[in-house]
Amino acid sequence: MTSRPSHIGAHVARVEDDRLLSGGARFVADVSLPGMLDAAFYRSPLPHALIERVDTGEALQVPGVAGAFTADDMTDVSPFPDFHRTARPVSIFPLARGKVRYVGAPIAVVVAPDRYGAEDARDLVSVDLEPLDPVVSVDEALAAEAPLLYPEWPDNIVIRSAVTNPEAIAEFEGRMTVSGRYQVGRHAGVPMETRGVAAEYRDGRLTVWTSTQFPHIARTMLSYCLPLDETDIRVIAPDVGGGFGVKAEFYTEEVTIPWLAMRLGRPVRWIEDRREHLISACHARDLTLDLEVAVDGDGRFRAVRGMAIQDLGAAEMYPYGFSPAFAAVSHITGPYRIPHQSVGVIAVATNKTPCGAYRGFGIPEATFATERLMDKAADRLGIDRREIRRRNLIGRDDLPYRTSSGAIIDSGSHREAFEETVRLTSESLDRWRARLAGDPHLRLGSGVVSYIEGVTPSYYSTSGHWTSFDSCSVRMNPDGTAVVSVGVSTTGQGLESMLTSLAAEALGVGRHQVRVVMGDTDRTPYGLGSWGSRSTNVASGALREAADVVMEKATRIAAHLMEASPDDISVHDGRFGVRGTPGASVTWRDVATVANIRTTDLPEGVKPGMEATASYDPPGIEHHPDEYGRVNGCATYTNASHGAVVSVDVGTGKVRVLEYIVAHDCGTVINPQIVRGQVVGGIAQGIGGALLEKLHYDEWGNPMSTSLLDYHLPTATEIPNMVVRHFQSPAPAMPWGAKGAGEAGIIGPAPAIAAAIEEALSDLGVAEITRTPITAPHVLSLVTSSVSGGRQEDRGDHR
Amino acid sequence: MSVNGRPIELVLDARKLLVDVLREDLGLTGTHIGCEQGSCGACTVLVDGRPVRSCIMLGVQAEGCDVTTVEGITPEDGLNPMQQAFKDHHGLQCGFCTPGFLTTLAGVTPDAYPDEESVRELLSGNLCRCTGYEGILDAVLAAWGRDR
Repeated sequence: MTSRPSHIGAHVARVEDDRLLSGGARFVADVSLPGMLDAAFYRSPLPHALIERVDTGEALQVPGVAGAFTADDMTDVSPFPDFHRTARPVSIFPLARGKVRYVGAPIAVVVAPDRYGAEDARDLVSVDLEPLDPVVSVDEALAAEAPLLYPEWPDNIVIRSAVTNPEAIAEFEGRMTVSGRYQVGRHAGVPMETRGVAAEYRDGRLTVWTSTQFPHIARTMLSYCLPLDETDIRVIAPDVGGGFGVKAEFYTEEVTIPWLAMRLGRPVRWIEDRREHLISACHARDLTLDLEVAVDGDGRFRAVRGMAIQDLGAAEMYPYGFSPAFAAVSHITGPYRIPHQSVGVIAVATNKTPCGAYRGFGIPEATFATERLMDKAADRLGIDRREIRRRNLIGRDDLPYRTSSGAIIDSGSHREAFEETVRLTSESLDRWRARLAGDPHLRLGSGVVSYIEGVTPSYYSTSGHWTSFDSCSVRMNPDGTAVVSVGVSTTGQGLESMLTSLAAEALGVGRHQVRVVMGDTDRTPYGLGSWGSRSTNVASGALREAADVVMEKATRIAAHLMEASPDDISVHDGRFGVRGTPGASVTWRDVATVANIRTTDLPEGVKPGMEATASYDPPGIEHHPDEYGRVNGCATYTNASHGAVVSVDVGTGKVRVLEYIVAHDCGTVINPQIVRGQVVGGIAQGIGGALLEKLHYDEWGNPMSTSLLDYHLPTATEIPNMVVRHFQSPAPAMPWGAKGAGEAGIIGPAPAIAAAIEEALSDLGVAEITRTPITAPHVLSLVTSSVSGGRQEDRGDHR
Repeated sequence: MSVNGRPIELVLDARKLLVDVLREDLGLTGTHIGCEQGSCGACTVLVDGRPVRSCIMLGVQAEGCDVTTVEGITPEDGLNPMQQAFKDHHGLQCGFCTPGFLTTLAGVTPDAYPDEESVRELLSGNLCRCTGYEGILDAVLAAWGRDR
C-alpha cells in the first residue's frame, strides 16, 4: 500500500479561515444559553493584606443579583493539588482564603443577569483588608526579616535547586572568565481574546466552555477540585483567540464559574476584561540569569556556571511558574559546544501577579544570557562577534550531540543557518546604511544570534503530574469521509489545517473529505493540549498510528472487492487501485460502506466498523533531570539564527528595527505558510518584549500596566519587514520528520537587537545591555552616560 | 438605526455600549471586545461608513445611524475581495482581531494610503498578536492592486 505525497510542503488554504473572516467563529464570549448569568469578581486592591471581613449584604440587595460568594461558601471545593515534590505547596484555592498576595487576587464573586448589573453589585461588596508590608523584588524577598507571603514557610523561596558540578567548576581554574547578570523583564502573552469561562450544570453533568490550550487537563483538574467524576464533566475549548502559554495555565476562575453554575442551577459566564487580564492572567519572564563562563584564549567556551533567579510573583499559578527557569537551564548552552555546565535555580515569591507560561518558556531568557556572554567574550578577546560563534557552534560532524544541558541534538543546520543569516544581515545593513546616510542622529548596527528550541517537551517538570503523550482517533464514515479527533486543540495556529492535510495524506482522501474535531473532551481522546511547540508532532504521531490501522483494514477490504492481493493495493484521492491493473478501482466510499453497512461483503476474518484510536508518546524524552540538572526534556530541537538591523536615534534613544532576518530549521515543513506565520508572529512578539512590553510595578507593589494604553503591544509600524529562509533537517525520530515551530520566533529578538544597538553605538563605548525591555529612555541613558562619563555598568531598575 | 441594511428598533439602557447591543441584542458576535478602551480595534464597526470603536460608543448614540459589522461586509456566498486576500496571504491566525481590521479597511479610501508606510500607519490602529502584521500588510497591498 502506498500513497503519493500531495499535501506535504504544499501551499494549501486554511480550513478555519472562512468562519474567522466572516464573523462566524465561536469564541467563549459568543456562547449564550437561556437564563445565563454574568459574573464579576471583586479583586484585591492591595498587594499584600489579611482579609478581615467581607460583606456582600449590600451587593445582594441590588435587584436581579443572583448571588455573591466568598471562599467561605465554597465548602465543597478542594484546593488545587500540589504535585511537585520539591516545591513548597501553595494550595491554590478559587477565592482568597484569609490573605491576598497580589493586586488582582479574586476575593469575592457576584452574579447577575448581565455584566453591567454584576459590576454594579460587585462595587457594593465591602472588604476590610489589613495591609501587610509588600515584597516587590527578589532582593526584598530574600532579605533577612523579609515579610513572608506564606507565613507557614521559613522564607519566601518556593523552590531551590542547588547544582554543583565539579567538572564544570574545574574548568574555571586558570582560564579567562566572563560574567554577567542578564534580566529578561516581566511581560506576558497578552492574547487579543482575554480569558473567559461559561458553564452549565444540567442533568447531573457539567459542561464548561473555556478559552484554554488544554481542555483535557482542565477537565481532570476540575474533577480534582469539584465533587464530580470526570465522566460527568465536559470541557469545550471553542475557537480560542490566541494563547501563547497564557491559556496553558489552569485558572481559579475555571473552577469558580462551574461551581457557580452548579450552586445556582443556572448557566454562568465570566468574560475577563483587559484590566483583569493584565493583573490576574499569568505574567511571565522576570527571570535573571547570573552566569559566568570559562573561555579559552581562542574564544572557545569551556564551561558555564551560575544561577537562574525567578521572580515568581505570588506563586499561585498552576502549572508552575518556576518551570521556565528550569527550561532556561536546560537551554543555556544553546547550539554551542560548551562541554560543562553547573547552573542552579532559585524561585522566589513576591507580591506581584503570579508568573506562568509565555511562548518560548525560558528559552528566550537563556538565549539572551548566552548570546550576550558570547558578545562580551568576543569584545574582551578582540575577536569578531560572528567569528566567536563560528568557533563554538556545533556542526553536522558533531551530530548527534549531547549538550552539557542534557539536550540530545540529532539533526539541524546550526552552522549553515548561521552563515546564511550573517550574509543576509550584512547585505541588509549595507542597504540600510545607503538608504539612511545623511541623517546625523541615526546610528545603524546589526546583531546575529543563534539558538536551539526544544520542542515537544515533557510536561512532567512543568506540571509535576502529566508526561508527554497525546492521542488521535480516526473514524471513516460510510461515505468514505473521515472524522479525525485529537487531544490537542487550536489557539489559532492553523492546527485544523495541518491535521487535515496530514490525515488526507495518511488516508489517501481529499482534504475536503476530512473533518478534524478538537477542543471537546466528550468527542476527542485524552491528550495534553497545545503548548511547547508539540501539537503537530504528537497529534501527527498518533494520527499516523491510527491511520495505519484503518488503512490496513481498508486495504484488505479493497483487495477483496477487486479480487487482488493486499500487497498490490494503492490509494490516492479517495480511490483504491491495483498496481499493474489500470482498470481496477474501488472508492473509499465503496470500502467504507462495506465496513460499516454491507458487512456481508467483508472478507473472511475482518470485523465490521472502520475506526481506530492510537496514542503516541514521542521517543527519547526524559522526564527527570540528573543531579546536575541535565535532562533531554524534549523530543527534538529546532534551530535558527536571527539577524536584526536597527537604527538608534542618539537624540531620543528611539530604536527602530529596520529589517529582521531569520534562517529557521524545523525539519520537514508541512505547511510553509503556517510555519512562516508562526515564525514571523513569534518574532513580532519577541520585538515587543525586547523594546516595548513591560508589566511595571511601583515600589509598593501596585501594578502600573493595567491597560493596553500603558502596556505597549507592537503595532504594524514597529514590526519591520522580515527575510525568512527555511532549512529542512528532518528529525529522524519524528513522524514526517517535522519539528515544532510555534515558539522559535520569539527567542531571538532580544539578544539580536541588544547586540545591534551596541554595534550601532560602538563608537560611543556604551555599557553592555543586560536587561529587557530596552526602552528609549534606557538607550538614551546609555548614550548620555557614555558621552559624559565613559564606560559604565548598565544599572537599571531591577524591579 | 439600521444594522447591515436592516432597520432595527430597540429600547436600550442609556449606558449600554454599542458593541454589547450588536453582540447581545442582535446576535452579531463577529464584532469582538479586546480592551473596552478603544485601544485595540477589535470592536471596530462602520457607523455611517466610517470606522468607529463600538466599545467606546453608546448604543443610543447610534440612533438614526447606519451600522455595518463584519457580517454586513461578508457576501452571502464566499468572501469579499479583502477577506479573500486575508485568506490567500495568511493575514490571520486566531482571527479574533480580524473583523476589526476588515471593517477598518472597508471604511477607508485606498488612495489616501499611497505607500507601504502609510498603509502601516493605517493598520497601526488595530492590534494583532499572532501575525506580526506581515500577512495583513500583504493582503491589503494585494487587494488594493499594489506590488509589495
